[in-house]
Amino acid sequence: MAKLLDQQRYKCALGAMQTVQAITRAIPILHSGPGCAQKLSDSIGSSGYFSPNIFPCTSINEKDVVFGGVKKLETTIENALKVIDADLYVVLTGCIPEIVGDDTGEVVSRFADAGKPVIYASTAGFKGNNYRGHEQVIDAIVDQYLRKADDRQKGLVNIWADVPYQDLFWLGNIRELERLIAELGLEPNTIFGYQRGIENINRVPKAEFNLLVSPWVSVGNMKKMEKKLGIPYLHYPTLPIGAFETSKFLREVGKFAGVPEEKVEELINRHENYYYYLIERYADMFLETRVMAKQFSVVADAQYALGITKFLVNDLGLVPAGQYIVDDTPKQFREEIKKEFANLNYGLKAEVSFETDAYKIHNEIKKHDYHGYPLILGSYYEKEVVEELFGHYLNISWPVQDKVVLDDSYVGYTGGIRLIEDIYSVAVQRWN
Amino acid sequence: MGELRQIAIYGKGGIGKSTTTQNLTAGLVEHGKKVMVVGCDPKADSTRLLLGGLAQKTVLDTIRDEGEDIELDRIMREGFGGTKCVESGGPEPGVGCAGRGIITSINMLENLGAYTDDLDYVFYDVLGDVVCGGFAMPIREGKAKEIYIVASGEMMALYAANNIAKGIRRYARTGGVRLGGIICNSRNVDRELDLLRAFSKELGTQLLYFVPRDNIVQRAEINKKTVIEYKPDSNQAQEYRNLAQAVIDNTKFDIPTPMSQERLEEILFEFGLMSDDYNI
Repeated sequence: MAKLLDQQRYKCALGAMQTVQAITRAIPILHSGPGCAQKLSDSIGSSGYFSPNIFPCTSINEKDVVFGGVKKLETTIENALKVIDADLYVVLTGCIPEIVGDDTGEVVSRFADAGKPVIYASTAGFKGNNYRGHEQVIDAIVDQYLRKADDRQKGLVNIWADVPYQDLFWLGNIRELERLIAELGLEPNTIFGYQRGIENINRVPKAEFNLLVSPWVSVGNMKKMEKKLGIPYLHYPTLPIGAFETSKFLREVGKFAGVPEEKVEELINRHENYYYYLIERYADMFLETRVMAKQFSVVADAQYALGITKFLVNDLGLVPAGQYIVDDTPKQFREEIKKEFANLNYGLKAEVSFETDAYKIHNEIKKHDYHGYPLILGSYYEKEVVEELFGHYLNISWPVQDKVVLDDSYVGYTGGIRLIEDIYSVAVQRWN
Repeated sequence: MGELRQIAIYGKGGIGKSTTTQNLTAGLVEHGKKVMVVGCDPKADSTRLLLGGLAQKTVLDTIRDEGEDIELDRIMREGFGGTKCVESGGPEPGVGCAGRGIITSINMLENLGAYTDDLDYVFYDVLGDVVCGGFAMPIREGKAKEIYIVASGEMMALYAANNIAKGIRRYARTGGVRLGGIICNSRNVDRELDLLRAFSKELGTQLLYFVPRDNIVQRAEINKKTVIEYKPDSNQAQEYRNLAQAVIDNTKFDIPTPMSQERLEEILFEFGLMSDDYNI
């Protein structure tokens, strides 16, 4: 039965254009109606080479529906190749050509000799949200562009994490993951952001292994690469935020990559010493800030809901109330994710709901007794309900309306400190 | 002139919808009626007999080549006895969306003022099965309110008719569309008349007319004519005149009651179609 979905926290699969825009010198070519493009292009940035608001689009209309839009697609790709100097052209299909049955793959195959790679991803909105769209783009790169490498480079690690731009902190996060991996003596390879791009994509098949840091996004991509490119993968479901999880992360990656244990422990010690030095200096403040209840809720995608819950429990000793995952996580991943929420320090377990309807989430939050003024980390949609409860609110997931993030990050030891700063900045401002 | 009756003709592919529609139209013309026939099939062969095989540029071809700023006479031709003939046409096989094409062309006809006040009947001759919403266009939005299904005593024809009835029932709930009856285009199947009567009854409708099989229809087709034009004095011409009269006189319009696959097979079994020891 149809239902009313209040304040959904994702876009349609065509939102994958942001994934393409996060690859420097890659350009999305939309095969869709003009409205889709218009709605999706309110992006807050790209990798820096092309404006996020400038991209080719077939802008198909009724005539293209009746007769098929393949001719228009062909000329659009043709002209894009002429006027846009990109390294990678990614055709993204919207709902209309997918319903009408345009053979996009066939049209794209005509550009095999174009001199620049042209690939396509099937990102019809009815196939799912932009998390799935992101996966489709990675799949397209693997399927249509990458070839199995003859030789592999020991210690080279491809890092994959959550969805650029959907995740506000994507750039800072992936750079911090790179730093951590590099500190283990490994060589990180990522395809998104500043000074990354086609060269990095070309290196993907040479990697010793893929490292996926996400509860569920891109698990399919890892399997595909394992099968096609022969690259094994390590799936680390929790975004490492703060000392406890980051140290665990380093140990697990180190073990998988065969990094000597002493080296890993030395690295962890060095980081933890500074981390706990900082915490100690402000320990009194954390203890004395009693106005903030010890219970908290996170309303975010699986990545942040899990990462932040683990951090707040394991590092700060807060107590989890209901946690809400809003990314429409595919059903086959839900049980595994639930198990992660049941595996917290101090024998604590967090109740987690997979819920996309803000109305229901807000009702649950209002009903719950947080034993004081709660801490709620979520999207901008949570601001109002937290205000009603005189709670503490931090905007950490899409949509974000009250902050600008250039390369801030919550990942790693540093990221944990940043998150503590942000949370307690909210708490201490209460009496201002 | 009475009120305009808009009629959609559905039925299994190859059952003779176009032939029946055009011969019926010729019969209506002889009764002095003004008729427009709109072919709603990408094959664009619904008006050939009325136009004497005259090559007809379809609405969609015209839109594709010349854009939407066209005159009505670019897409409408006058055929036998002053009938107005239009072919919706469609995209090339395997590309685009033919259903949307039909929606586009009917909207175009409306915009160009094809539905003039002097018309008594408009027929929509729709391709085989109602495969998607586009092919239901003539019965949506209150265009054709009257439907006839062309069928024969063959199992697949009845299966298709039952399926089409499901579509009609859907639109009958919200709009005023009703089933006017079954027209049997006989294939000389055993006990065909009995079977069609029983089937129509089960479907909650009537067998409007039984058109017997006659090779003269094929001969007329080869000559690009309706039977009425080709051999006005033949028995078959009279049959089509009778069919036209039956349509004119028809006042029985029902919401069909489509049956389950099992029930349909039961009826077929009852009339010997499913029996393997049937002796001719």
